[in-house]
Amino acid sequence: MTATRPYVEEPLPPAEPEGPPILKIGLRRWLKENLFSTWFNTLLTVVFAALLAYATYKLARFVFVDARWEVVQRNITNFMVFHFPRAELWRVWVALFVLAAAAGLGVGAAGTRREAETAEGRGTRVAGRGLVFRRVAPLIALVVVLLLAARSLTAALLVLGVAVTAIGFRLLGRSLPARAFRFVVLAVLAAIVAAFLVIIAFGGVPWDDWGGLLLTVFLAVAGIAISFPLGVLLALGRRSKLPAVKLVCIVYIELIRGVPLITILFMAVFALGFFLPAGTDPPSTVARALVGLILFTAAYVAEIVRGGLQSVPTGQIEAAQALGLSPTKTTRLILLPQALRAVIPALVGQFISLFKDTSLVFVVGLTELLAVAEIVTQQPDFRAQGLIVETLLFVAFVYWAGSYWMSRESQRLEQRLGVGIR
Amino acid sequence: MSEVLTSAATVPGGTGEPIIEVMDVSKWFDDFQALKDVNLTVGRQEVVVVCGPSGSGKSTLIRCINRLEKHDKGRIVVDGIELSDDIRNIGEIRREVGMVFQSFNLFPHLTVLENITLAPRQVRRKAKKEAQEKGMEVLTRVQIPEQATKYPGQLSGGQQQRVAIARALAMEPKIMLFDEPTSALDPEMIKEVLDAMVELAQSGMTMIVITHEMGFAREVADRMVFMADAEIVEAGTPEHFFQNPREERTKQFLAQIL
Repeated sequence: MTATRPYVEEPLPPAEPEGPPILKIGLRRWLKENLFSTWFNTLLTVVFAALLAYATYKLARFVFVDARWEVVQRNITNFMVFHFPRAELWRVWVALFVLAAAAGLGVGAAGTRREAETAEGRGTRVAGRGLVFRRVAPLIALVVVLLLAARSLTAALLVLGVAVTAIGFRLLGRSLPARAFRFVVLAVLAAIVAAFLVIIAFGGVPWDDWGGLLLTVFLAVAGIAISFPLGVLLALGRRSKLPAVKLVCIVYIELIRGVPLITILFMAVFALGFFLPAGTDPPSTVARALVGLILFTAAYVAEIVRGGLQSVPTGQIEAAQALGLSPTKTTRLILLPQALRAVIPALVGQFISLFKDTSLVFVVGLTELLAVAEIVTQQPDFRAQGLIVETLLFVAFVYWAGSYWMSRESQRLEQRLGVGIR
Repeated sequence: MSEVLTSAATVPGGTGEPIIEVMDVSKWFDDFQALKDVNLTVGRQEVVVVCGPSGSGKSTLIRCINRLEKHDKGRIVVDGIELSDDIRNIGEIRREVGMVFQSFNLFPHLTVLENITLAPRQVRRKAKKEAQEKGMEVLTRVQIPEQATKYPGQLSGGQQQRVAIARALAMEPKIMLFDEPTSALDPEMIKEVLDAMVELAQSGMTMIVITHEMGFAREVADRMVFMADAEIVEAGTPEHFFQNPREERTKQFLAQIL
């Protein structure tokens, strides 16, 4: 057409709907505007860049050159389980494999279900490809560090095996139909119980012989799993119309919150005997410390959940009542889901706190992860060489990996549930 | 005020057979009296529109009918069941009485269809499939079946209020209470909600509607009730009410809103 009528301009393409203007500025301009805009800013930039570079250099030099990681490498088993009988270590490995399989299966099946929901047009998509990596990054870092610390090929292969099991079972979980999800949930719960039983039952190792990371993780997981429902009940109790229930909950919450965790731990371990009938065997130290952690955390969880309960508008409850829902169902189906969703960040914060606070059980004589870091520097080969820095760095890294992973999962959960969107 | 004027409130319209009887009901919030010896009888299939200045006790009156508020004096009988402290009676009445609120009060964590099927499944113990079919039926009735899988936060105000109506209808109530259903809506969305309510009224539903939409009242109301200062001041047919209000307070109120 245009060939025969060269004087006619090509028709303009239909105008694109106008979006917001995209501001593109080059790196140079960005630097100039943000870091070197005035002489004072330039000075700050230079000074802090120098400080940052120096600190990074020192840390990197220490970690990669000066540090004597031998103390960690030779004691890696101590860090993981401490005085757990070495002949029974296979139980821990079996438990790890079972848990890895369960975790993989659960994550995979959850992914399938999410896709099914998105296909139905509901649910909030958690966007971004990098997310999968960011989600597992702290765990990958942990696996890498453990591989570096592994002293035997067997151990390294086992660590890798656990990771591969998790990935493999995730694929299996992906291939399951979406409606299998509820069975997967049951399977995961069963696996957690099985992993626990493999270690402790069938001629296994009692709690008091657990140590290191094993003890830390056990205290944290059991603490979270029990203190959460207890805290929810306390929060509901505090709002109860029954004066007796309300009073008991208020007294409990305010008493516990008024006492430091260390005091509660000491009391749980040393004073519990007074409350037991004479002649009964007191429970093990680990059990008593766990009770202390749970009692403590439950009080804080209760207050967080109460905040969530108060954030749910009265209209929600009235609407549920007007539809004829019973008070129990109103609480379970309307009130709690909204209340808990509103307080995910605070709740996970409390659980991260609990994970790190488990280190306090060393004051009652338990050797969890942090205690090991101190003890191994007393060994004849490492004594009086200032190696506590290495062991503390290692332990700090392990705590960080766990805490950061929980934090990321919490953010994901928030996005998934559309907190702040609907 | 004279007995003659308010006595119209106690003669049931509709089929003439009373379904709601409010007898000498009083209600206090601490020292503030929200209802003073209120009498109202609503007949089966009757549409009663209640209006009046804010704070006059309109909301309190209908909230007493499904026990969102507890009346302190007098008797309320709904469909032959007297409202007492007996939890079973309250449950039974709430199953038969649907309510639509000014602020929608949809459950934000559930999809539209889940909002609607929740009560039929949990209270009426219907099977999931049956409840979903009924849910789609009522959604179609309020003309938004395509929104079934969305969350309330993704809908406009008018759509949300229609979902709220559908949610109440899914319980197959005998009576529907509306507490200023269009007051929180943007002007362009009021009509779609009123249309749904008109359709409902024409289908023979017993309704008590608190609203200041006088066009709606003229079109579907069998009886108008005017409340002020915790009392029913005047009641009567819409023609009578709009053309010959007898009470001074009614005249003033109408002059302000018409």
